[in-house]
Amino acid sequence: MSEETPATPAPRTASHLEVKATMLLIALLLLVTGAGLYLAYARGAFERTQQLVLIAEDSEGVGVGMDMTFAGFPIGRVTRIELAPDGNARILVDVPVKDAHWLRQSSVFAIQRGVVGNTNIRAYTGILTDPPLEDGAVRTVLRGDATAEIPRLMAEARQVLQNLSAMTASDSALNASLANVQGFTEKLQGPGGAVGALMGGDSEAKKLAAVLDRSNSLLARLDGLVAKADAQVFGNDGLMRDARTTVTSLNAMLLDARASLQKVDEVLKEAKAVGENARAATTDLGALRADVETSLRNVDGLINELNRKWPFKRETELKLP
Amino acid sequence: MRVGESIIPSMATLHDITEGLSDIGRDSLRTSLDWTTSWWHVIYAGALVLVLAMSPSTYQRSARASLARQLYLGTAPLLPWFALLAALFSVVIIRIVVVTAVSYGLTQYALEMMIRVLVLELIPLSAALFVALRATLPSGAELTAMHRSGVFHEQERSGADPLRHELLPRVVAGMFAVQLLVAVSCLITMVLAYIAVYGFTLAAFGGFTRTLGQIFNPAVALIFALKTLFFGMAVALVPVAAFLRGPQSASAPGSRASPELDGLIRLFAAILVIEAVSLVGNYY
Repeated sequence: MSEETPATPAPRTASHLEVKATMLLIALLLLVTGAGLYLAYARGAFERTQQLVLIAEDSEGVGVGMDMTFAGFPIGRVTRIELAPDGNARILVDVPVKDAHWLRQSSVFAIQRGVVGNTNIRAYTGILTDPPLEDGAVRTVLRGDATAEIPRLMAEARQVLQNLSAMTASDSALNASLANVQGFTEKLQGPGGAVGALMGGDSEAKKLAAVLDRSNSLLARLDGLVAKADAQVFGNDGLMRDARTTVTSLNAMLLDARASLQKVDEVLKEAKAVGENARAATTDLGALRADVETSLRNVDGLINELNRKWPFKRETELKLP
Repeated sequence: MRVGESIIPSMATLHDITEGLSDIGRDSLRTSLDWTTSWWHVIYAGALVLVLAMSPSTYQRSARASLARQLYLGTAPLLPWFALLAALFSVVIIRIVVVTAVSYGLTQYALEMMIRVLVLELIPLSAALFVALRATLPSGAELTAMHRSGVFHEQERSGADPLRHELLPRVVAGMFAVQLLVAVSCLITMVLAYIAVYGFTLAAFGGFTRTLGQIFNPAVALIFALKTLFFGMAVALVPVAAFLRGPQSASAPGSRASPELDGLIRLFAAILVIEAVSLVGNYY
């Protein structure tokens, strides 16, 4: 070390330095006080708040100081988390009175935890005309956990992969089907072709070919038969000509029959008139018969009178032998 | 016999080994005693300054002038430079954090990260080191040199109190400089962070305030205040504590390091411990 005395600063006017030092002190004081007040304001120390108690099964991820948001805007701050006697977590949220009108009786609260990032407490109000939420209200909070879906998703994905591996295994049905398809296409390319593949063998395909040949010959014979039948039916001496002649004769016969029927009709009219006459005669016969009956009854009475008066009275009593 | 002779050491060799071992023991004992004594001196200086600061006679006119001079000269020259350096450093860090956060889609956490990294950790640490290197270490060396040159004895003979006129103002000035530099740089950094994240608008001030409120919960705010206070105390007390060892400390036999370097090492150790404790308090 050098032995020389360090140069002390040149003496300045004490009052001048004191003023500057005082200014620095005041600046520090102002900064510290301002920072303290600002932090108190930032933490909501000067806000009137109302309390909301959220009951959650699990408060994992929720921390003191965390915001509760409504439509993305922070409207409350978690002030305390405690364990209730029933094992549920009680999350105490301070909501500034000026923001409390967003919360209504029908509001729903949810804790949502993303795969990345922190947990969020969100409030949803469907009906803004409902009565406002009272101070100290207790609400059950819903849990919307993105990571909670992962195990289920993994299980389902595993199931799908297992099915896929079962489908693609060497002894799987899909593999066997593909092998069959391969055999089928090989048969298609074989001597029997598609017919052989469809009938199941070459011998069957040959039988089918024989059937086709016989059908062809049958059709040729059928052609000849049809030509002959044509000649028989529609030829010059064919059946059709005779039939036409017969139909002409039949027409003439029908005309004769119609004339005969008209005559019969007239005869019937005559007969009807005769019948009517006979009916009138029958009516007259009734009156005649009544007269005859009256005359006979009179004759009968006369005879009885004679018999009574006549001395040759006959014994009327019958005697059995 | 030859083998036996080679195994059994001579009496002279044994004596040498014993001497060497005792030297090592003496050295380590002396080192640990020195280390303990020097820390004791730091604590003693702190107690001394506290008692002096509490005593009304410290604030008589002559002592007050000395205090004001040290306060001003220890802080004012550092403030603009440190504010500028802190602003540049903050801009670099803020830019890195914002770009990284945007590329990962995590912009909502960028501001919180900047405040936590810069305001809570880096600015107090760099302010303490800056004040130590620019003000308190030279001041401590100056004090030791004055002591060695007998200035204090002259002052005592003339009726002045060297503790009141030289020691106390330097310690208070060191502590004050750290607090003011931290306060000003934090303010500048927060303004820069706000502008980097939200741009030149006041519309996002509510959200910014809310984020700050979330970061500075009571525990974090208390740890931050205590850390800054202890940084100031370490920076102010450790360099001047060497002066209490007396003028012979610099020329003590066997001391390999100069008192300034010794003070610097102790200061770094103290700052490291304070930083570690604050990290544990904040994040565990």
